[in-house]
Amino acid sequence: MLTYISYRLLQMIPLLFVISVIVFVIIQLPPGDFLTTYVEQLRLSGSDVDASTIIQLKAQYGLDLPLYGQYWVWIKNIILHGDLGMSIQWNLPVSEVIGDRLLLTLLISVISLILIWIIAIPIGIYSATHQYSWLDYAFSFVGFIGLAIPGFLIALLLVYFVFNLTGLSVTGLFSPEYEGAPWSWGKLLDLLPHMIVPVIIVGLSGTAALIRITRGMMLDELSKQYVITARAKGVSERRLLFKYPVRLAIHPLVSTIGWTIPALISGEAIISIVLNLPTTGPILLKALMVQDMYLAGSFLLILSVLTVFGTLLSDILLAVVDPRIRFGGTRS
Amino acid sequence: MKKITQALLSILLISSLTLAGCQSSDSKDAAAPATADVNNSSTPSSSPSSSSSSKYGESPFFSGKNLPPVLDRLPLEPKLTNELPADYLNLEIGTYGGTLRTARTDVVIDNDVFIINNEPLVNTPGLLGEEVTPNVVKDFKVSDDQKEFTFTLREGQKWSDGVPLTVEDVKFTVEDVLFNPELTPVFPLWLKSSAGPDGKPFTFQVVDDYTFKIIFDKPYGGFLMQLAVQGWRGYTELIKPKHFLQKYHTKYTPLEQLEPEIKAANFGTGEWAKLFISKDLLNTEFSYPKAVGFPVLTPYIQVKSGDKALYERNPYYFKVDAKGNQLPYIDKLESNFVQNLEVVKLKIMAGEIDHSYEYVSIPDVSLLKEHEQEGGYKVYVNNLHRTANDIELNQTFDDPVWRQVVGDARFRQALNLALDKQEIDDTVFYGFANPAAFQGAERDLDKANKLLDEIGLKKGEDGLRKGPDGKTFTIPLEVSTQMADFATLGQLVVEQWKQLGLDVSLKQIDNTLWTTRNKANQLKATIMFTPGPVQWARSEWGQNIWAPLWDQWWNSAGAQGEEPPQDVKDLFQSIFSLRELPIEQAKQKREEIKKNFADKVWYFIHSENIAAPVAVNAKIGNFSDKGWGIAQNFAGEQWFFRK
Repeated sequence: MLTYISYRLLQMIPLLFVISVIVFVIIQLPPGDFLTTYVEQLRLSGSDVDASTIIQLKAQYGLDLPLYGQYWVWIKNIILHGDLGMSIQWNLPVSEVIGDRLLLTLLISVISLILIWIIAIPIGIYSATHQYSWLDYAFSFVGFIGLAIPGFLIALLLVYFVFNLTGLSVTGLFSPEYEGAPWSWGKLLDLLPHMIVPVIIVGLSGTAALIRITRGMMLDELSKQYVITARAKGVSERRLLFKYPVRLAIHPLVSTIGWTIPALISGEAIISIVLNLPTTGPILLKALMVQDMYLAGSFLLILSVLTVFGTLLSDILLAVVDPRIRFGGTRS
Repeated sequence: MKKITQALLSILLISSLTLAGCQSSDSKDAAAPATADVNNSSTPSSSPSSSSSSKYGESPFFSGKNLPPVLDRLPLEPKLTNELPADYLNLEIGTYGGTLRTARTDVVIDNDVFIINNEPLVNTPGLLGEEVTPNVVKDFKVSDDQKEFTFTLREGQKWSDGVPLTVEDVKFTVEDVLFNPELTPVFPLWLKSSAGPDGKPFTFQVVDDYTFKIIFDKPYGGFLMQLAVQGWRGYTELIKPKHFLQKYHTKYTPLEQLEPEIKAANFGTGEWAKLFISKDLLNTEFSYPKAVGFPVLTPYIQVKSGDKALYERNPYYFKVDAKGNQLPYIDKLESNFVQNLEVVKLKIMAGEIDHSYEYVSIPDVSLLKEHEQEGGYKVYVNNLHRTANDIELNQTFDDPVWRQVVGDARFRQALNLALDKQEIDDTVFYGFANPAAFQGAERDLDKANKLLDEIGLKKGEDGLRKGPDGKTFTIPLEVSTQMADFATLGQLVVEQWKQLGLDVSLKQIDNTLWTTRNKANQLKATIMFTPGPVQWARSEWGQNIWAPLWDQWWNSAGAQGEEPPQDVKDLFQSIFSLRELPIEQAKQKREEIKKNFADKVWYFIHSENIAAPVAVNAKIGNFSDKGWGIAQNFAGEQWFFRK
């Protein structure tokens, strides 16, 4: 097992190197660079930009270097100093830009993930064991709606109805007086009610999907012979259910860790934009749009690292929870 | 052991630097009571606002902040505010207090705050360019030959950290920054004689502690207008705080002493210029994180950056109202980062934003008006300080057939005649604009068709006109996503020009791509706004869009681009001469230019008097719907919250 893990870890080095190069190159593929956008923005708002200013800014952010030079500066600082570079559009270190938002993003993602599990798995099991009952139909109906309607649309509708009924805008995560204030007990208490809407909307499509997956997996398992055998031998229905099929039905939770973990910190970009949430999603989108390559590149690199590690983690966990995988490996 | 000493040393150095950084604010506080004692030693303990039987009033915001009395904070001769012409607004004497909340969708740039904060050396009321008055400078004089400009600073004026502003600051900026090739690799065009590419940089003379001269070798009557309004110029290009920036300049601080900071900022050894530039603040950067702690002359100082950037009133701001109250009236600004434009509108309607000029457009007016009452705001319909969306055909596009057709003035006249300008105003501007009269507001399809026949663009069997090469002549409009109304107008234009039997198409392309293609002379036909037809003080008549190569040739004195034909050269020359002429002559010249654009139809300016809606908290006083919306914004230091 240990050799396997260390072998996999070694494999990651060339993989991450290739990912970092691809990420950096793709961000820079569109014509122009950050300064083109920046100067154009100033020019359109009527401000003159001196030729000197452009030259200086280019030099300051290393935009005058060739692509490989920029890549080298970026990756060197990450490896040697753990320094993710400066965000050109924010005028701040990348770690600072992402850092502030990471906590809130994680909070929303983790709470909605837990919520998804708590709601979806029991419903999925119930739906499967009571297939074609009226509750199964009801859950399936709601589930399909949740799957079919994109989260941002629900967010938009919610914003619209709340504004029409109360004249309030349900946006942001804090009341104005706590926005930008240092963390305190009051700020935390203020955050909680503001989190309800985003958590529900972020969790909605996930819940719907997981209900469907659990139900499908359960149905597959329930019709297998070992279930019939166990039932025939007189194992109690509850014990039968939870000992085998349920354990198998929640496999997707483990096997998808590879992309669940990066999703936790990337935030739901479009929902966040609609609800004006200070999370990481919109920041990445904006960075990509203006070619702020150090911010976008570093963030994508973090996501890639998490994906790669998450995949490894899910492989290990799968072996732990599922004996068939463990033994299947040794047989050959 | 060596390593430990090194580490200790660097820690010491860093901490001493941080201390030095903090000290500037500490020393101000420490110095404050001392000065206060000198000035009103008779009443040492009274609060500053009531003391000193001062002729100046100040905001209660400063009470208890240990500042010198307002009399000492203002220059000997403060500026009496005149941002708007008298007939635009009955200036009321306002009351102090409140926080103005704005929204921005850019991570750092807030144009509403920028315009309020910007302080040029001289200003022109209403931004109209009708007259030029002193602003940061107390006085200016222009020699009769329009070559010599003498400026006098306000004695006693101070930077926002309390350090006096003197001619030393100007000298530093000119001699150590502008004329230092490491810091200014390309000398700014507008500071060369008559702003020409072949002009010589100005010469600089210090007359006394508060007076300096800027001398050009050729007449440059437009220089004042350059300072006042061109390109939203601020004072920062000629006046920088020497006491702050000399810490980063090798002339005043040895390079070895700078190295640790250069290294900390991740620049290479010896790259002090990069460090200096990263510390220096241009007027376009007042909303950047680095502005916190930088000495300024603006009405507001940034005190906290971030998603919610906070600004506080500058205790040393140099303007007063007619009663001698120090401006601004509103104590604080709060700039909120919002992820997208629609949320800004929602926040306006929910009463969470007090002023938005940037994010309100004509199509929003009816929705915003509907919620005025509940939201506690008012929508003012001001005028736009530029055109909204003109139509440009690239006359230097690299295709002989295209050039032959588009270069023919009759072709452009025909297309102009085919535009239904009334329909454009009704559809694109919801009636909040008029057909521009000077290129002719009448639609005449017969005449237009006749002109096209005359040129020889014969209709083929498919009903489409063929170019000189016998192929269908196509006008591919490519518009940027920058403004939603570009596409709306584009659709109309396509339909209107199709009626002439022309093959016209419309494509929307991304903003950045548009810029790149425009620069590379790859756009055949497009839609973009231009300031020239509205703001005569600016010489941007879209030359870089309808003739990129000629424009490049002109701006580089023939080094790049392509030489334009004589009539275009003459036109450029007259646009250009606006910079050399003093105001009165320039106004006449402008009429000439306008006539030229009417005759030759270099590009299509279809509308005028275009509205610019602004959403403002209903309680805000000293705001009117006269003039340009942006000029009201520029006078932001006079706004106040009614009780």
